[in-house]
Amino acid sequence: MKPAVTFSLLLVLVIALSLVNLVYGGVSIPFERLLDILAHPGDGVDSIILWDIRLPRAIATILGGAILSVSGLLLQVYFRNPVVGPFILGISSGATLMVSLVMLTTLFLKLPFHSPYITTAFGMVGSFLVVAVVVAVASRVKSGITLLIVGLMVGYMCHSVTSILMAFAEKQQIKGFVLWQLGSFNGFKWDEIGLLFMAGVPLMIMAYGLSKPLNALLLGEDYALSMGIDVRRTRMALLFVACALAGLITALAGPVAFIGLAVPHMARMIFATSDNRILIPGVILTGALVTSLCDLVARNLMSPVELPLSAITAFFGAPVVISLLMKRRVKL
Amino acid sequence: MTVERGDNILEISSLSIGYDNTAVVSGIDLHFKRGQLVCILGPNGAGKTTLLRVLSRHLKPISGKIALKGRELSSYTQLELARVMAVVLTERVAPPLFSVYQFVALGRYPYTDFLGRLKPDDDKAVQDALALVGADMLSQRDFQGLSDGERQKVLLARALCQGPEVLILDEPTAHLDLKHRLEVMGILRNLTRERGILVIASLHDVDVAAKVADVVVMVKDGEITEWGPPEEVLKAKKVESLYELENAVFSSKLGTLELPAKGQGPQVFVVGGNGEGAGVMRLLAKKGFKLSTGVLFKNDLDYFVARALGANILAQEPSGSISRDMLLRAEKLLSNCLFLVDALPVGIKAFKGNQRLVERARELGIEVVSKDMDLLNLEPLIKDASRVTFKKGRCAI
Repeated sequence: MKPAVTFSLLLVLVIALSLVNLVYGGVSIPFERLLDILAHPGDGVDSIILWDIRLPRAIATILGGAILSVSGLLLQVYFRNPVVGPFILGISSGATLMVSLVMLTTLFLKLPFHSPYITTAFGMVGSFLVVAVVVAVASRVKSGITLLIVGLMVGYMCHSVTSILMAFAEKQQIKGFVLWQLGSFNGFKWDEIGLLFMAGVPLMIMAYGLSKPLNALLLGEDYALSMGIDVRRTRMALLFVACALAGLITALAGPVAFIGLAVPHMARMIFATSDNRILIPGVILTGALVTSLCDLVARNLMSPVELPLSAITAFFGAPVVISLLMKRRVKL
Repeated sequence: MTVERGDNILEISSLSIGYDNTAVVSGIDLHFKRGQLVCILGPNGAGKTTLLRVLSRHLKPISGKIALKGRELSSYTQLELARVMAVVLTERVAPPLFSVYQFVALGRYPYTDFLGRLKPDDDKAVQDALALVGADMLSQRDFQGLSDGERQKVLLARALCQGPEVLILDEPTAHLDLKHRLEVMGILRNLTRERGILVIASLHDVDVAAKVADVVVMVKDGEITEWGPPEEVLKAKKVESLYELENAVFSSKLGTLELPAKGQGPQVFVVGGNGEGAGVMRLLAKKGFKLSTGVLFKNDLDYFVARALGANILAQEPSGSISRDMLLRAEKLLSNCLFLVDALPVGIKAFKGNQRLVERARELGIEVVSKDMDLLNLEPLIKDASRVTFKKGRCAI
């Protein structure tokens, strides 16, 4: 199948699934009314559910899935390692540490600017602190493996501080924190969507701009260098884009597991290529589709209890990846 | 394509290379021309790969100058360099889901637009490169499914479609079987002849280097010990000291290494000539026999092989016939031998005198084995030889 056909097919599926996500849920909205409410927002319950809850969530799910998948793809190619995901360099741990400071301690209760966005803000600070460390290290060391180990170690350090905080925290606080750690696209505000869009889309366009050097990097840094790539600059750009994407989504939605690891594999199988010029748009669509599907299941499987998104992504996603790999018999 | 010859495309002067400012090889002065096939020889760890990595700018030199096409190597931008120089590394690459064509097309990287789209020119370059290495029929195959030999050819094609004037290869024949080893070296030689590319390859096989290289560079003990045409450089002593060979002998006439007969086994006489005895002698040397041979002319292949194998040789200057004196001396040698292999060339008058040795062996009761029989039929004799008790003149089994 031509990539263009596959792209169109995936796009149609994403839109269809999003519509299902909008109408289907604890309170079902009849499909006929959907367009009406979208066109004329009102004060009715349906309208509030749609405009304040479901629509932001559906959009956040699409963008979040796309962002996580692009980040995962970039890092898999750079490290030439198929089990790498967006959080391999400690980004989620950094965010988790900062968020745990907010949610598990009383350190910030007295701050004058306390607001509903404080978790997001601290998550972002945590992510980008780790990104800064990773990029600073990357500019000094040559080997990707060293960088990987540095990332893992930073992750462990953040994790240890978080677990100490958990030891001192109240039960009630811990439950909220654990749920945040599982990640969710629930409760997105429109200005958060705006932020996700304004930062995420340019970063994904930058990622697409890197697809040519990414293809060369499939052969490793030595070959890439011999083909005329400024490997150092490319590496910095690539790590910046990948980490910024992962940091952005972690700050807003928590560490959503598995999507960034699995979707690149799914896209490689769907498009039967390693060509990143096709894979980057490919993972954006596949990521949006898979994440929307997982969110639909998470919301409705045990309704009214909402299941953690990370549980669904991993539980249903892992067998899919395994079977795809077995079927194709591709060595990765 | 016009091939300029004569100008030095690569000039290296007082270069010192190594890691973390510790020199591995220093005082390197070399210059190469277009269209030369350069082989870098030396034992493992001598710095062959380091030298190649410095030339391909994967590693900064400690000191010294490298000029590529008359311009300082470090002054090239990465993209400019990629259009002049391509590499084939030892690193194993196997990206998944790549067709051979797509893989080779990556070599067009320095010429394509920012999305790497292929224009008709690029397509032609890819087809050319595939044809040049004889891999055109592989083009739709999956890269991961290739054999070692096929993969090496495809890696070569990728480098070629970068349109290089200098091609650097690290151990291009390692892990290859004989057929592909020869194919790859053949391709490299064609590239130098037909495209005027300077090919620099590190190699393990001194045999191969002797036969295909225009220039060999010997790296050992932190310096370039010798460099120049293999005909001048690859002398027995130099090769043996380069690799610190103790059990092998390099024959510059044959351009090959031989393992001399150091065996403690019984003496065997080979009557050969005109190259007929070489194979038998190698076999016997391998099985641990001591060799005697004669009477040979000093321009015979058998003579060079026998010398490399360390045989007792009775040889004379080339002439129309074998001298009586030599024959008598041969008969003396013969009397100490367990058996005689008759590998006399048929129908060449000059060797007729040697027929006498075969007859003499029969008179002495020494077994005569015909070379016409399958060489493996020597096995019974050879097996027995290990149980032999040795008496002068004859042997008892």
